[in-house]
Amino acid sequence: MSGFDVQQFRSQFAFFQLQPDWVYLDNAATMHKPKAVTDAVQRFYQQHNSNVHRGAHQLSQRATAEFEQARDTVASFINAKHRHEIIFTSGATAALNQIAFGLMHTILHPGDRILLTQLEHHANIVPWQLHCQRHGIYIDVVPLKSSLQLDLAAYQQLLLKKPKVVSFSHVSNVLGHIQPAQQMVAMAKAAGAITVIDGAQGVVYQQPDMQQLDCDFYVFSGHKIYGPTGTGVLYGKTESLEQLTPLLAGGEMIEQVSFVNTTFNKLPFRLEAGTPNIAGVIGLGAALQWLQQYNNNNLIQHKALLLKAFFNGLAQLKGVDILSMPVHNAGIVALNVDSEHPSDVAAMLDQQRIAVRSGQHCAMPLFSYLAKPGAVRCAFAAYNTLDDVNRCLLALEQAVEILTA
Amino acid sequence: MTLEQLLADTKPALQDIQQRDLADIKQAADWQAKYRILMQLGKKLPAIPEKMKQPELLVKGCESRAWLLHYHDKSSDKHYFVLDSEARIVKGLMAIMLCLVNGMSSAELAKFDLSHKFEQLNLKPYLSQSRGNGLTAMAEKIKACCPAS
Repeated sequence: MSGFDVQQFRSQFAFFQLQPDWVYLDNAATMHKPKAVTDAVQRFYQQHNSNVHRGAHQLSQRATAEFEQARDTVASFINAKHRHEIIFTSGATAALNQIAFGLMHTILHPGDRILLTQLEHHANIVPWQLHCQRHGIYIDVVPLKSSLQLDLAAYQQLLLKKPKVVSFSHVSNVLGHIQPAQQMVAMAKAAGAITVIDGAQGVVYQQPDMQQLDCDFYVFSGHKIYGPTGTGVLYGKTESLEQLTPLLAGGEMIEQVSFVNTTFNKLPFRLEAGTPNIAGVIGLGAALQWLQQYNNNNLIQHKALLLKAFFNGLAQLKGVDILSMPVHNAGIVALNVDSEHPSDVAAMLDQQRIAVRSGQHCAMPLFSYLAKPGAVRCAFAAYNTLDDVNRCLLALEQAVEILTA
Repeated sequence: MTLEQLLADTKPALQDIQQRDLADIKQAADWQAKYRILMQLGKKLPAIPEKMKQPELLVKGCESRAWLLHYHDKSSDKHYFVLDSEARIVKGLMAIMLCLVNGMSSAELAKFDLSHKFEQLNLKPYLSQSRGNGLTAMAEKIKACCPAS
C-alpha cells in the first residue's frame, strides 16, 4: 500500500503490543489511543494539573493555554469559521442532549415538527423524544430504501411538512453507510430547517468541513477518534449556538449572578458549565494533532482495502447474511449467521479473541424495521491489518461450523 | 402447553444436565468442546410457547431475550423453574444455573451461592460480564423468587 505504512501506524498503540492475541474490531464503540494521546494526558496530570480559566497562578494559565489550544485544533480540524464555535462536552450524547433541550422555546414550539431518520442511534432519538413529547412537537422519520440507504425522495416529501429541525447521522453506526450529508443539508436548508448532524462515526472517516457542509450543528465523541473517553464536541454556527438555552448551569458559564437574575458568559463558555474534562480535552487535541500527520485519503484507502478483503472473504462463507453494503461504507460491516442469534456468534468470536459488538447497537428502530434481533458488527479502523481481516474470517468460519453442527 | 406440562418436561431435562453434563463441562478440553456441550444443553429444554412469553417473564439486561417462569409449590415449599432464550449459548449457561437451583426450598434458594458454584464449574467469567449475556440478571431474578422472610 503506497503512502501508508500500517505497521508504523499501529506501532504507536501500546494496546497492540500488550495484547498481541486480540483482533480489535469494535472500533465503532471506541478506538484505541496512540501514545501521543496517553502521553499528553499523563504530562498534563504530572506537570501542570490545575483548573482552567480561573486560577490566579501560572500553572492555571498554562493549563488554560493548552485547553484553549485544543479548541483551536478542533476548530481547524473541522474547518469551523470561529474558535468559539467549538463547545467541549462529555461526548456526542451530551451534545445532542444540549441541542434538543436548547432549541425548545427558542426555535421549537408546540405544534412544530422535527425530522429524524430510521437508522439513528438512540442518542439522536431519545433526547428529541423527551422534549418533543412534553412540548407537543411532532417527530417524522425518513424511511429507508431496500438497499438500507435513506430514501431521499421520501425525505424531500417530508421536508414539505416544514420541519423546524432535521437531525441525522453522517455515518450509520450499525451499517457503516455514509449518508449524502452535503445534499441532505442543502435540501433541509432550502426547506428552512435547522440542521443537526450526528458525526460520531462520520468524523473518523472523513475529516468533515463545517464551512463546506454548512450545517448548523455537528457533534462527535472524542473517544471514537483516538481521543480519551468523556470528551466530545458540539460544533455550531455562532448564530445557531446563540439560540441554545444552556442545559447545564454553573461555573464559568456565568457572567453575573443575583437571586433575581443571571447573565451568561459569551460563547463558548456559556455552554460549558462546571470544570471541563481538562485532561481529556487536551488528549483530544493531541489525538487530532497526531492524526493530521497522516493523509486522510491514505487512511480511507487502507480501510477500503480491508473492507474489500472482508467482503470477499464473507462471500466465500456459507450461511452468512450481510446487512451492510460494500459501497459508500465507512468501514463497518453488520452481519448475521443464518438463523443464529448474534450474541452466540459474538460469544464464539470472543473465545477466539476477536472483539466485536453484537446486539441492536443502540438503534432499536432500525432493527425493528429490519425485523431482526440484532447483528454482529465488525468495525475496522486504520490500525487494523489484512491479518486481522483473515483472522476474523477464520473465526467466523469456526463459529458457523460449531453453530450449525 | 400448560405450565404443569412445561414444568414436567423441564424437570427431567434439568436433572439430566446436573447428573451428566456438568462433569463434561468442567472437563471440556477447549472452548470448542465446552460450547458444543452448552449448545446441546439448550436443546434439552422444552421451548416456552410464544404466547406464554409474557413481558413480565423477560429477564431484563440481556442482549438476547430470555424468559424465566417460576412455580413455587407451597405445600412442599419447593421452587421450580422453566427458561427459554433466543441465544443458544446463553440458554445453555442458564440451564446450568437452573439445574443447580431447581427444586430447592425457600431457605436453600436464599442462601445459595451461585457465584461460588460457577467458579467450581470454571464458568465464573460468564457471570462477571456487567451487561450483555444477562446471566447476572437471571441470577437476580431467580433470587427474587424467594418469598420475603
